[in-house]
This record gives sequence, structure tokens and C-alpha cells, in this order.
Amino acid sequence: MEDVIQIKTDKRFIRQVKSLGGNPLKECMQCGACSVVCKLSPEENPFPRKEMLWASWGMKDKLIGDPDLWLCHQCGDCSATCPRGVQPATVLSALRHINYLEYASPRFLAVWLSKPVYLPLVVAIPALIILLILWMAGTVSVPDGPVDYSKLFPHPLLNGTFATLVILVLVAYWKGFRRFKRDIRKNQRAKIKGQKSKKNNQKRIRFFYQLKEILLHTQFRKCQTNRLRTLAHILVFSGFLLLLLVTLVAIVNVLFFEYPMNFWHPAKIAGNLGGLALVTGTMMMIWYRLFRKDAIGPSTYADWSFLIFLLLLAVSGILTEWARFGNWSAAYVIYFIHLVLVWIVIIYAPYSKFGHLLYRLAVLILLKDRR
Amino acid sequence: MKDDVSATLGIYLCTGCGIHVAINADALQESICKAFPAATCRTHPALCSEQGTHTIWEDVRQNRLDKIVIGACSPRIHTDRFPADPTTIVERVNLREQVAWCQPPGTEDTRALAEDLMKMGITRVLASQAPLPYIPDNVSDTILIVGGGISGITAALEAARAGRQVLLVEKEAILGGRMNHLHQQIPFLQPYCSPVQPIIGDKVRELLAEERVTILTSAEIDHLSGQPGDFTVTIRQHGSLHTFRAGAIVMATGWKPYDPANLEHLGYGRLRSVITQPDLENCAREDHWDQLFPKNPVHGVLFIQCAGSRDPRHLPYCSNYCCATTLKQTTYLRKKYPGLPIYVIYKDLRTPGHLEQFYQHIQQDELLFMTKGDVTDITENGDVITVKADKTLFGESIVVDVDLVVLATGMVPSNTSELNLTYRQGKGLPDLKYGFPDSHFICFPYETRRTGIYAAGACRAPMDSASCMEDAGGAVLKAIQCIEAIKRGEAVHPRSGDRSWPELYMQRCTDCKRCTEECPFGAYDETPKGTPLPHPTRCRRCGICLGACPERIINFSDFSIDNVSAMIKAVGIPDEFEEKYRILAFVCENDAYPAFDMAGQKRLQYDPSVRIIPVRCIGSVNRIWITDALSRGFDGILLIGCRPGEDYQCHFIQGSELAQQRAENFKEALQTMMLEPERIRMEFIEITDCDKIPTLIRDYLETIKRIGPNPFKGI
Repeated sequence: MEDVIQIKTDKRFIRQVKSLGGNPLKECMQCGACSVVCKLSPEENPFPRKEMLWASWGMKDKLIGDPDLWLCHQCGDCSATCPRGVQPATVLSALRHINYLEYASPRFLAVWLSKPVYLPLVVAIPALIILLILWMAGTVSVPDGPVDYSKLFPHPLLNGTFATLVILVLVAYWKGFRRFKRDIRKNQRAKIKGQKSKKNNQKRIRFFYQLKEILLHTQFRKCQTNRLRTLAHILVFSGFLLLLLVTLVAIVNVLFFEYPMNFWHPAKIAGNLGGLALVTGTMMMIWYRLFRKDAIGPSTYADWSFLIFLLLLAVSGILTEWARFGNWSAAYVIYFIHLVLVWIVIIYAPYSKFGHLLYRLAVLILLKDRR
Repeated sequence: MKDDVSATLGIYLCTGCGIHVAINADALQESICKAFPAATCRTHPALCSEQGTHTIWEDVRQNRLDKIVIGACSPRIHTDRFPADPTTIVERVNLREQVAWCQPPGTEDTRALAEDLMKMGITRVLASQAPLPYIPDNVSDTILIVGGGISGITAALEAARAGRQVLLVEKEAILGGRMNHLHQQIPFLQPYCSPVQPIIGDKVRELLAEERVTILTSAEIDHLSGQPGDFTVTIRQHGSLHTFRAGAIVMATGWKPYDPANLEHLGYGRLRSVITQPDLENCAREDHWDQLFPKNPVHGVLFIQCAGSRDPRHLPYCSNYCCATTLKQTTYLRKKYPGLPIYVIYKDLRTPGHLEQFYQHIQQDELLFMTKGDVTDITENGDVITVKADKTLFGESIVVDVDLVVLATGMVPSNTSELNLTYRQGKGLPDLKYGFPDSHFICFPYETRRTGIYAAGACRAPMDSASCMEDAGGAVLKAIQCIEAIKRGEAVHPRSGDRSWPELYMQRCTDCKRCTEECPFGAYDETPKGTPLPHPTRCRRCGICLGACPERIINFSDFSIDNVSAMIKAVGIPDEFEEKYRILAFVCENDAYPAFDMAGQKRLQYDPSVRIIPVRCIGSVNRIWITDALSRGFDGILLIGCRPGEDYQCHFIQGSELAQQRAENFKEALQTMMLEPERIRMEFIEITDCDKIPTLIRDYLETIKRIGPNPFKGI
């Protein structure tokens, strides 16, 4: 049976896409050069041409839960090729943003993170809650003696409260994610309807394949226009991953072994390297956004805020370490700021641009006949 | 007699560019000059050099030469170096491209080819006279412009500003034509972002201020007779007839919209809220929106592009202006109804040239939605029209609810028989395709098949007003060129500068009417008695009438039955025991001859048995030449011309088609003479087909070898 779309255009949606960075959206003439040049686009139903059409017609239904949005790495090849200067990469970025807003639970958090007016609120909440925890623990003061952060924030309390928060956020994310998963599956079925569904008994292999792809950036590296940006992303991604592992090691050490660790402890070295990679990567990205607007298109508040918070997180982390070794007097203030930034980046992840990690991972694993 | 003629003959052989390698020029000079005792007979290492041309000029001056044969490079090369004095006939024999560069050096066959070509050139010159040009008395300088729309007005202004007298005839009571109905005009100047006020008012005012222009409104052409340089036009205005003279004519009669009554499948006539672009334009101009929308529209307006265009059941062509018109009309709707969605369903959105910028600007409208698609169904349900379209950009069918549907209908050219020509071949201009008059689109866009009558604007091809203005300028230039060429006694095109013209030996005419019927340009009318009445300035000098005439009474001073027959007889035919074949090739000068030259330039080698006679058009080959060649002993005859039929390449429209027809007839005649029909072969090649020439000749030669030598050889 043939599909028939009853056209219902949504002006508010068009305005939303335009306001989130997809401004020249309407000038798309559907030539399809973007889909041709895209190295990541599948042969059947390629993107981003169809997304451009749906977006310019305000067809929100098609774009919420569109799995193809997450196959795009915003490398900018399409924007560089577009004869009309429409910047499909930026439009897809805006559409992904709308998806964060759509699936976020609670939704207001995603709205707060996407608008500069809420910035004070976004910073004040973690600051106040951490102060509240410290006040309850009775440690709101600058301790004397050599710098020992557990004097300010005892480790069990730190690990306990932050782990609880992470679990709470994951539960909240799961709620939105189930809807997301359902929509992706539905769209995926619609797309492969009529094709023979292959019996899939290689689920595990596929999972590891995708994991490898993500770790090695095999898709991202196909990018032609912004090769340095791929490098930047690899740096940020691997730095972050290293730091995440180091954190886990640190928690284990706190629980069972000696802490803090010696500077030459392997985990410490890994952590320092991760921090450096993160700083270098984010700086490169910031440079790109500032000076290569021609290549990657306009940047939105969400792009900037996420990037700057990430840089500040890494810088404050390194400063925290130096402050400890150097016994700085401002050590505890720096540590406090670092904790607030950890919250902003990690606890807010499903509501900010960092959500791409969760959604993209989900789509890559969910998608079946990708090739 | 022969000696008298030879007394003013000069023969020159160039030995440069490899000719001396291919042939022994001294031996050739000796044998040629023995056969034709010319006043001067020289060889020179580089005739095209200053010293070489100087030698020729000196000889012309001292020996009073009036016939010169130059055996050197192709006549298409160095056209400005050799004498071009109208009283001197210059024959260029192609010893470089068609001998030295395509044949092995030093062989007997190569020598024979060069000698034959020289002899053919010399006999041709001896049988030719320098043309005495035809110039009508009292050539009129006035340009008649038919139609007072944007094209006609622009043409009149351009002609007047070039210092010409203009007579402009408009059917309606006021000037301006179809542009008078416009609310706004598609932008035609930078920045092309929004529609502009129609320019027509200013143009009419400018025209009225021009002194050289005579304007007749509410006037029609009653009849138009004569020939370029000397047209007589009788105009009916308010019931009385007025007669004027004109030198050339610009036809700018415009277009009318395709009749939407044929578009019932798109709802026209069947549904109340389906209108056409001109309807919407009128509403916008008169601000009568309530006629279109009894209630305030809420659902939207949908434009269907190519409504009856690019559709074999209606208009098979693209009308070029409808897409931009739709874009323009969306701005009217947007101004009036800011929140109304507007949909456009197109086959391809075509905005030629700078209108691309217009398209991009209009697209910025947030509520403008465009997709490719085929409209398959339109139904009405109360006030709502539901449109269904397949094959959309969505990959799925779509259904849209709207308040109004606008059909973008195409352009139909106006009927050219309004010219009321008194030509024997009809009142109007012959069509090329789809009712548009044209004679050879690629090479001569403005030329119609009536010399001196140039089509401009939408009656020539579908176009918007900006293109019409450009077109009008071009057509006027052609009209001026035409008048000037006639004053000099020269052909206008495509044989620009040719001073020869067809002369008829009327005493022998049998009134068979072939020339009057077959001339593609209607150059011949008829006297009341039925004999042909030639109008030499209508003629394009193609010689198709020469090829048609069974009595052989039509001849040009330098291209005639006699001089070509003499060329044929000049070729030495090896006797039947030598097992050497001779093929005569009549080659069209327009495309096939240059293709042979290019084959030489590429050093492609082909068989030396071919003897080429260039002709003005393959349609100018007369049957007697074929008979002459066969009885002379040629084994086969090739006719090489341009492609006929749909998308023909013939520069004279029908020449190759007629030649093909005549060749077929002749093949039948051959069978009655117990000769094989294969002895004649027609081939069509394009100017770029030089690579095919060696194969073409080899194939034909194999056919001839299979059927054996001409049995008349040696008789």
C-alpha cells in the first residue's frame, strides 16, 4: 500500500528550527547534493535531503525520533557543498536539539540549558545544593593544614551524593529514552517495511562493532571538510573517557586502598593525560567555532555553553590538582567550583548538548540494517 | 575560345605545409600547364605569405587576370589573404587538407588525385563568370514591426535609435500588449529580489516621443507582398486601406495563454476555486480579492506548475515564464494574507538566468512550501479543495487541503498567418516545431523561413518580458543587416556576402512548378500563367531550385549545371583493366566539407579514389550531374549532407531531405538502366564527424568492389 501524507505545516516548528541555528533552512532547493556528498548517509533513504524538506515544511512528526539525525556527526561536508549555502549540518544540529527538548524528562531542564536567561539558575542550583550538603555535613569552612579535599567534602559523602544524583538522572533519562527508543523503532520499521527482515543473531557482534566504531571514530574520520575537528573530537572523547576511568579507579582506591594517589601512580598519569587531551580538544573546538564559521556554520548558545563548561571543567580539575600539590590558599574554592562544573556537565548531560553521547549511542545500537 | 579564356587565367601551386612532400609539384605544374595554357602558371613555397600574395596581385595587375586557381590549403583557411575583388573569380583547390594530409606521399594515386582536383578547379573557373549582383531599385530603409507589445515596442525603439524609419502596426487600440494586464513584473534588473512595477508604461512613453516611428493602432495587415528591400504592406485601419513600403520586417505578435478549458483534469471549469495565473493577476491588479475568496482563506493556496505544459497531450514544451510568475504571484498573496500557507507543486522549478536569485529570495517566505510532484486528483468538499499529488520529494504521496488552486498555464504562439503574405507558399511563416516559426535554431535564432522577416519575443519562442526585450534588439539588428546587404546586392545569411543569385532561362521553362514548391524559403511566386516569378532577395542562394529543375534552366554565375558538369568531365577515369575505382562525392559545404578538412587536419588517411565536388547544399545536386558521372565512368556516387528529419541539421531546412528523396527516385531509375542502385549512396554527417570519414569511404568502396566496376566505363 502506498503511503499518503496529509500535509499539516507547522509554522512554530519552522521558527524553532530557524532560531536554533537552521536559519537559511527555507532556501533549500532539494538538489540533494548534501546527501550525495555525505559519507555517512546510507544508500536507501539518504539524509540530510529529506530532513531538509521535512524541516522546511514544518513536519515535526517526521523529525522527532528520526534515527538518521544521530548518524550525522556534523562534519560539515554537506554545508561546504550546498550550492545555496543552506548548511544542512547546522539544520540537523538544530533538529537534534529539538529532540533533546522533546525527550528530556523533566523537560524544563532542557529548556533551561538551551537559553542564556536561565544561566544563573543553571549555575546556582548545583552551587546551592552542594553548599547545602556541606552545610548538613558541617564542613562549610576553609580547613587548616595541608590541602586535603576530603576535609571539605568527605569522600563517602561525595561519592554517595553524586552517585545518587547520577542514578536519579539516569532514571529520568530512561523515561524519555523509552519514548525515544519506541519512536526510533517505529521509524526504522517504516523505513525497512517491505524489505525482508534478516534474522539477527549477531546482536553482540553488532554491539561490539558499533563500540569499536565509536571508540575509533571510524565514521567521523570520513569527514573531508573539517579534519582537525575530527581530531579535536577524538581528543575530547578519549580524554573524557580516560578521566571517567580514572574516577572509577579513584573511587575503588578510596574504598579499598590508599587515597589520594601518588603523582606517579599510573591512574594519576592517565588522569593528567586525559585532562590535557580534554583541554586541547575543547580549545581546538572553540577555535573552530570562532574562526572557521565558514566551515561549520553558526554556533548556538547550546553549542557554546556546553563547550565552555567542558573546558572550564577540565581547567578547574587541573587547577584543583595543582592547588593540592602546591598547597594554595584558594584550593578549596577551586575545588568547589570544580564540583559545580562536574554537576553542570555530567548531571545535566541528558538535557544539554552532551546528550548526543547518550542518544547517538542508543541509535547506533538500535539501528538494524544500516549497511 | 578556350585560348581566349586562358589568356586571363592564373594558376598557382603552393608547395608549403607538406604539399611538396606528398606530390611532385613541378611535375604537376608541368602537366597542368600543358593541359591549360594559362597566362601565368607558378609554384610558390608559401602562397599565403606576404610575398606569395604579392606575386598573385602583381600578376593580376600586369596580365589582367580575372580567373585565378590556387592549389593550396582549404578554401576555408586564409579567406582574407587571397584576392577578393568582385570582378575576379578565385577558385581554391584543396591540395593540403584533402590531398597532402590525408594521403600517403609520393604515390601514383596521390598524384592522380592532386591532378584531378586541379583540373576540376580550372575547368570550373573556365565555365564560370563573375557574378553581377542583383540590387532592387529603390531599396526601402523602413522597418515594419508587427505587434505593439513589449517586443514590438523595444524593436521599434532600437530601430529608431539606430536611425531607421519604423512603421509599427498594432491590432489593439492601445500599445502595450499583454503586459498591460500585469499587476507587477518579474524582476529584470539587480537585485532580482522582489517583483517590480511593469516597465511597459515607460516604454510606450519613450516610443511616442520617437520621431522616426509611425504607429498605427487598431490596424491589421490586409496583405503583404514583395521581397526584402522592397516589401509592400497594405494595412487596414478603421475600415480603410493604406499602403506602405518596408525593407525588412520584425514579427512580434506575441502569445496567448493556453486554453484552460482543456485542463478539466486539474479542476478548471469543474471546480469553482480553480483559476489560472492570468485570473489571479487580474484580481491582484484590480484588488478584487473577495472574488477569489468569498470567505477569509485559512487553509492555503496551491499553485500547480506546468498545468498543461511539458505534457504531450497539451503543450509539449516548457513556457519558460510560468515558474517565475508563480513566484511573483506568491508575493501578492503574502502581502494580502500574511498567515496563509502557499503551496507550489512543480515538475521542475525553472528560473533561468538571474531569476535564480529571485527564486531564492521568494523561498525565504516561511509559509511557502514547494515540492516536485504530479497532481493526480483534485476534489472539492464545501469550501475546501483537496489536492493529491504523487511522486513528490517526500517519496510518498501527499494530500493538501486548500482554499484556492492556481494553474500555471503555458504560452501558445500567436498565429503568424496574421502577416497575410501573398507568397505562393502561404500567408504565414512556416513552423519549426509547436507552432513557433524558426529556420535554424542553433545557427540563426531570429531567422524565419521568410528572408527579411525576423521573429522576436514570445511569438518566436516562449520567454518572459526581459528576454523579449533582448530578443527584439537582436531581431532588429538582423533586419538592419538584411537591408544593408540587399543594398550591396549580397545574400544576408547563411551565405553572407554571396553576390550570385539564381538566374532562370525562362524560354525553356515547362511550368512544372518544382522550384516554386521546393524552395524552402518561398523565393518563387507564380505569374498568372503559372510560370515561376523569382524574388532574388528572398533567396538564400542554397541552389535547391537548381537541384530540382528538370529542365536545368536555373543557374548561378559561379555555380551552374555546366560548370559542375565540366568538373565531372575533367576527372581522369582509369580504364576498366586498371582495377582502379573512382567515386564522385558531392559534399555539402556547410558541415560535411569542413568535416573532410578536419579529417585531414587530424591526418586521418582515406582511400584516394574519391573526387570531391563541394556544393552549396546537398539539395542543390541536379540529377544530370549523376547521369554525367555515371556515363563518364564513375563507379559510385556519394551524396554527403547534413541530417534531415526531426532535429534536422540542414542549413537550408529541407535540402538534405529533398536530396534523399531524389536519390531514392534515381535509384529506381538506375534499375531500369540495368545499373545497381548501390551506385548512389546518401550519407549524413555532422561537422564533428570527421572520425567517421575513413570508415564511411572504406565501406562504400567495399560495396562498389562487390558489385564491380561501372559497365559504362570506357564506352
